[in-house]
Amino acid sequence: MIYGKIVRSPYPHAKVVSIDLSAAEKAPGVKATLAYMKAGDEVHYQGDPVAAVAADTEERARDAARLIRVRYEALPQVSSEAQGMQLIGPRWSTTQPNTRAGQRAETGDLDAGFKQAAHIVEQTYSTHIITHVCLETHGAVCEWDGDKLTAWVSTQGVHQCAQGYAQALGIPQTNVRVITQYMGGGFGSKFAPDSQGIICAKLAKAAGVPVKLMLDRKEEHLDTGNRPSAFAKIKAGVSSDGKLTAFDGTSWGTGGAGASSGFPLPYLYQFPNRKRVHTDVYINAGQQRAMRAPGHPQGCFLTEILMDELADRVKMDPVEFRIKNAPPLAPNAQWVKYFAEGAKRFGWDKRHATGDPTPGPIKTGMGVSAHLWGGAGRGSTAHVDIMSDGSVVVKCGTQDLGTGTRTLVAIVAAETFGLPVSGVKPEIGDTLYPFSGGSGGSTTAASVTPAIRVTSLNALDALFAKVAPTLGVTPDQLAAEGGRIFVKGNSSKGLSWKDACKLIGTEPISVDGKWEDGLSSSGTSGVQFAEVEVDIETGIVRIKRILAMQDCGLIVDKLTAESQAYGGVVAAINFALFEDRILDRVTGQMVNPNMEWYLLAGMSDIPKIDIVLNNMPERGVIGIGEPPTVSTASAIANAVRNATGATIRSLPLHPHKVLAAIEQERAGGTN
Amino acid sequence: MKAFAYVNPTSEKEAVAALKTDGIAMVIGGGQDLLSRMKDYIDSPDRVVNVKGLDATVTATSDGGVKIGSAVKIVDLAEHAAVMSLYPSVAAAAIEVGTPQIRNQGTVGGNINQRPRCWYFRNEEFVCYKKGGSRCFAVNGENQYHAIFGNDGPSHIVHPSSLAVPFVAYGAKFRVLGPNGEREIAAADYFTMPTLANVLKENVLDDEDILTHVILPAPGNVKHGHYEVRYKQSHDWPLAFTTVVLVMNGVNGTSGANGTSGSTIRSARVVLGAVAPVPWRSRPAEDALAGKALNEATAALAGEAAISEAKPMSGNAYKIQIAKTAVKRAVMRAAGIKTV
Repeated sequence: MIYGKIVRSPYPHAKVVSIDLSAAEKAPGVKATLAYMKAGDEVHYQGDPVAAVAADTEERARDAARLIRVRYEALPQVSSEAQGMQLIGPRWSTTQPNTRAGQRAETGDLDAGFKQAAHIVEQTYSTHIITHVCLETHGAVCEWDGDKLTAWVSTQGVHQCAQGYAQALGIPQTNVRVITQYMGGGFGSKFAPDSQGIICAKLAKAAGVPVKLMLDRKEEHLDTGNRPSAFAKIKAGVSSDGKLTAFDGTSWGTGGAGASSGFPLPYLYQFPNRKRVHTDVYINAGQQRAMRAPGHPQGCFLTEILMDELADRVKMDPVEFRIKNAPPLAPNAQWVKYFAEGAKRFGWDKRHATGDPTPGPIKTGMGVSAHLWGGAGRGSTAHVDIMSDGSVVVKCGTQDLGTGTRTLVAIVAAETFGLPVSGVKPEIGDTLYPFSGGSGGSTTAASVTPAIRVTSLNALDALFAKVAPTLGVTPDQLAAEGGRIFVKGNSSKGLSWKDACKLIGTEPISVDGKWEDGLSSSGTSGVQFAEVEVDIETGIVRIKRILAMQDCGLIVDKLTAESQAYGGVVAAINFALFEDRILDRVTGQMVNPNMEWYLLAGMSDIPKIDIVLNNMPERGVIGIGEPPTVSTASAIANAVRNATGATIRSLPLHPHKVLAAIEQERAGGTN
Repeated sequence: MKAFAYVNPTSEKEAVAALKTDGIAMVIGGGQDLLSRMKDYIDSPDRVVNVKGLDATVTATSDGGVKIGSAVKIVDLAEHAAVMSLYPSVAAAAIEVGTPQIRNQGTVGGNINQRPRCWYFRNEEFVCYKKGGSRCFAVNGENQYHAIFGNDGPSHIVHPSSLAVPFVAYGAKFRVLGPNGEREIAAADYFTMPTLANVLKENVLDDEDILTHVILPAPGNVKHGHYEVRYKQSHDWPLAFTTVVLVMNGVNGTSGANGTSGSTIRSARVVLGAVAPVPWRSRPAEDALAGKALNEATAALAGEAAISEAKPMSGNAYKIQIAKTAVKRAVMRAAGIKTV
């Protein structure tokens, strides 16, 4: 195996004048080179792939990559949303406009809504751009056997990835096998082979040996996706008795070079009269990709800060105000219940009104916020083999991005067969296994576990058919539990699992099955509470505790479900306080493409997190990967507002913003 | 990174000799700074000279101070009994460095001599003054973590060393060995404000010099306070920090009522970190403290005085408030008053 390295544009916007591979071809250990772009092509962001090299060691590949001489003609770049929206000035592309009309929706009568309002808040809110920061970077190992490709990829969708390889390389999809046994994190950016996957395959073909190409941290920040920014100028009205009456929002944001930036707005709460107009702004920076609950953290923040401002206008408690304006209680809409229960658990009654009155520099505050998500299942397929020695293998072409999918596959099959989890061998993460979709939209648990349940039941029926004659009963009289097959109501009349399987004979039980409606559903709700401490002499925010109230239908495995909620909250703490993709305003190049200045929480920055999962078995399985990360940042920002009395309407909550907001509040108010 | 020769000298003299080369030779201690720069192609030395084998001990000096070998690990400095009792602000600064892994790998010499953490310096794309270029990108760019003092240019970095600040505050001397023998330099004179002539370096070390020891004088009748403000609590560079060393009138100033000290401050050393291209000694703060009773009101005055010379850049005025707070709280700590 040899190693690949990509040469990327240092310019955010340029025309490629020439690519000279000759020096790299002669460098020590080099086995293959390729030009990914050609003279005349336009690069649209720093990190746009231009060429590549493969060499016998990673170090030699890196050194050789620097010998590839690319000449560029630099073009003016767009480095911010504000710059992109200017009518005159730099363009992100020589052929496409800087902006495009996005989402647009209108309901009710806006004028009438504002007439009903006793108070109106009119403000601009925004969230920033963060990158996925998967600890295992994007990349692959590609190996060819003639015109057949095997690719070991860090991917959230093995089948989807195989399709991508086939299309990009012009080979039948049946010639592509993608394997992902384990992966070190996927948050929405890892569905396709991407440029690095295709380059890896092409280098392997050219070199005639397998190539490993994993991106480094800088490449991750520049070219593997991000959460788009979101801005909205919002005018909203509330009646004197605390009912929302109207919402008029003009929003914009950037998904980078040519990618969209939509998000839901207003979020969750019931504005009977509302209008929203969105504009996508393009800038010369890496393209956005789906990132853990795409759009929701943005829409949630923009709406939830506004909600606290409106609550203050009508002098209502934020929880009471939200209960009054949230959708009514339903299986997929538990907010009003979580607001009330959560407030009790959190000690919300000890919350002071906006602005901590206690003396001294440390101010404490509480905040609340709510979110929703889908998480529905869809057509996964599976296969089960039961051997005559009693061993069981369950195969499903899904993948485990670290969420515990492999564990769920084993748990569901084992419970169906009445075996310990160790009695089932779960095999996933390979396109040789039956089709299952990509792990996005929190759909995996709700797609895979019903397929495993149905397929396991099919297999058990086949086993019962083999065993029933020996026990002198019909198959429908049998049950499987505690490692035994026995007659229902007469548990001593039966066989151990092993003895029962001996009756299978030489041809194993080998059955297929697929996802069926009724074992899963869609629609989750969650509410989160945050308590913070703000040092008003330094602007430093410290989070004291978080409470997350969350449902996900039937909880298949408490440990992995809670783990998703913990992970979501931690990621959202980073979004709230630390992470920020910072582009140099003059050159358009990223100044913090690392983990030194791209800040991520460490142990001491993470507070006590309480997760309260509401088990709803009657609803079947629903995904939980995304929802817990949606509302944390808004709850934290509202807690900072409650502590300081100053409103910060943009993320992250950097000390410079906290100090400026406090200063502004002292000078006459942030309201 | 570029291939390099590795030299493992067994004595100070061998180390100095190994630095003499036609190419570029660089000293490696814990390596956490140098290796990152090499991997990022910020520096590409032909020869790397390991100094981890040199003196890694803390020893008592005849005048009641201590002598610290450059190869002493930061964790060992933080946990050294004599350092903790005589120079608690050195121990406090040491324990705030990075993470346990970084403190276990990093050396005293490496901490003092590490290159700036400026994000323009650390990214290959930006050919700034410190990489032989002709501009400081921070001036018109992203300068939220850059200097608020000593901003006459040409470079606007903040000095990255956590240990340098208390060393300057305690009046340490640095022992340097070069081809022409050894010399001792006051810590305050070791670090250099940038000029066009010396902007490629942050201190007086010549290419063939090594820093071998830090010598701390006996502290005398002093009170000490150290306060660091970080954005993150784990693994982050400080936004501002301060060491104050107060020489007190009388013997061990007895405590008065209301947490105030019974004795007055004779003289003060106030040094700020992460705010200027060098550890920044604040004369106005020192003047504000001299002759005053040691209490919270005096601490607040010192904080105000410290920022009187601040000249922020376009995006870092917020650091002035943080620096003011750091000075105030460091003085409060010296007075034994609870800060937050």
